[in-house]
Amino acid sequence: MLLEALRLKDFRNLRDVELSPHQRFNLFTGQNGQGKTNLLEAIYLLSAVKSFRSQATNRNLIGHGRDQAELFARVDRGGHVRDVGIEIGERGKRITLNGQTVRNVADFFGTLNVVIFGPDDIGVLKGSPSERRRFIDRAIFNARPAYGTEATHFEEVLKNRNALLKEERVDGGLLSIYDDQLVEWGAQILRRRLDFIDHFRPVLKRTFRSIFGDGFEAEIGYQAEWADQDLSTENVEEALRDALSRTRQEERHRGYTLVGPHRDDLRTELDGHDLRAFGSQGQTRAFILAMKIAEITYLEERYRFAPILLLDDVSSELDRERNRQLFAFLRDRAIGQVFITTTHRDHILLEEDLRHYQVVDGEVRDG
Amino acid sequence: MTHRSDRLGEDPISGLVNALRRLPGIGERTATRLTFFILHEEEGIAQDLAEALLEAREKIRLCQTCCNLTDQEECVVCRDGRRDPSLICVVERIQDLRAIEATGDFRGTYHVLHGLISPLDGVGPDDLHLRELITRLQDSETREALDEVIVATSPTVDGETTALYLQKLLSPFGIQVSRIASGVPIGGDLEYTDRVTLARAIAQRRAM
Ligand SMILES: Nc1ncnc2c1ncn2[C@@H]1O[C@H](COP(=O)(O)OP(=O)(O)OP(=O)(O)O)[C@@H](O)[C@H]1O
Ligand SMILES: [Mg+2]
Ligand SMILES: [Zn+2]
Repeated sequence: MLLEALRLKDFRNLRDVELSPHQRFNLFTGQNGQGKTNLLEAIYLLSAVKSFRSQATNRNLIGHGRDQAELFARVDRGGHVRDVGIEIGERGKRITLNGQTVRNVADFFGTLNVVIFGPDDIGVLKGSPSERRRFIDRAIFNARPAYGTEATHFEEVLKNRNALLKEERVDGGLLSIYDDQLVEWGAQILRRRLDFIDHFRPVLKRTFRSIFGDGFEAEIGYQAEWADQDLSTENVEEALRDALSRTRQEERHRGYTLVGPHRDDLRTELDGHDLRAFGSQGQTRAFILAMKIAEITYLEERYRFAPILLLDDVSSELDRERNRQLFAFLRDRAIGQVFITTTHRDHILLEEDLRHYQVVDGEVRDG
Repeated sequence: MTHRSDRLGEDPISGLVNALRRLPGIGERTATRLTFFILHEEEGIAQDLAEALLEAREKIRLCQTCCNLTDQEECVVCRDGRRDPSLICVVERIQDLRAIEATGDFRGTYHVLHGLISPLDGVGPDDLHLRELITRLQDSETREALDEVIVATSPTVDGETTALYLQKLLSPFGIQVSRIASGVPIGGDLEYTDRVTLARAIAQRRAM
């Protein structure tokens, strides 16, 4: 997968950017606050439509004093070239594929696949369960865009069910209809996540060993506290039903749904110790680095495509050794386009297959 | 949203622009263009428009049988003796009824709910026109002629919930309840679905 051309207009502080990126490494250097992350955000939007940043309202994405932002990319996917466009207005986004407006975003997903690794990811393993769920969900979504629709559908069921539980007199007949839907869609999400972990786990273990030697054993698992049995793709429906009937009283009392994939977590272990509780800073960074590399390898091995990698200033977050390992992986990987931002050129251990840009006050120049 | 002109006291031009903006699908730019069109044309158009609006508003009401819009007691579909009384197609909105009529493939009658169940938006079963449907089925002549109720709500969470609720509600009548097949995209809006897909979805409805 290759980004052949990128054009941005009035996106955040990037007023007018036009690039023909290198098919391997593209390096963006610049001082703080110049627009480096904004550039990666634009590429991410062309893939996922939503931003990875919080508070990224349409208004915030549009350049100050402008009323519309325009993003454009030409994407080559195995010789199949497509033009992707997003116009962002205050009232909404308009997506185009080869110049044609896309009515249903689901038709658009999968055109451009990116994996981002940035400062926010460094904290994922120590952060809230929702951040780890997002990691899994993003990885699944990248390979199977339909998962996005399923997840949205589940969330909508959940929100309605919660609203119903908060009502003074709960219509039991209606609640049981939401029970059925919660089980149906919740089970679908769970099956996808369990299937992901099944395939991702060996890749992660292997990646961790190859980077850090045989000294440590990495382990990862799906954690559903509400289930009183080990979950498998076969028993998720039954497990959800059981758990729902067990929590019937309490959920009425609390006014929200206590069981389902929205409550789950990713358990990460190093040598049998829970990383969330016991991991040192270095260990958690090593682990997240391995997870990100494994995510890319997983997509390449299982789905046979190399996603575009966006590395946002991670070198400053990793220690020297991890940084060296990261670049060793990137160089050894024979293919794959990478966009890297940094404030310090000397952090970036790349000399070949490289195009270098300077980002200064929203302008991107060859450097 | 309050506009600046609301606070300053509205001049007639912004008054009209703002009134038009309250219509769905009309933004500031279109509202402004319509306003100047109305003001530039001969007086007739404003007069005709105002009268047509008020007359429609005054005369149009819900069909006493199916809750479609009509200017009589019963709507054109219910008055049409050639419609097939063995089928009732339940839809969310008038727009959906029109979309299905436009396929030309459906010869039964309709029932318009005027909404979907959505606790999140504070809409419960009692807020829909379900009672009219029950009343209709309690009429022995109607009941006898009826074989099947087709639920043609959108394949969204609210559409699906409403369909399942209807299935429960109608089970005592012993009528076959079916749901349109989702050739319609999941999460999609019935109104914007192309005719071919919609016609196929109706043809391939499934029992619930
Ligand atoms: N909608 C907008 N319009 C104009 N400028 C904006 C907009 N949104 C953000 N900015 C500006 O973009 C700049 C931040 O850009 P960005 O986050 O890309 O910086 P960066 O180069 O990644 O910096 P750092 O090295 O600190 O991460 C800030 O100066 C901010 O004011
Ligand atoms: Mg940045
Ligand atoms: Zn009628």
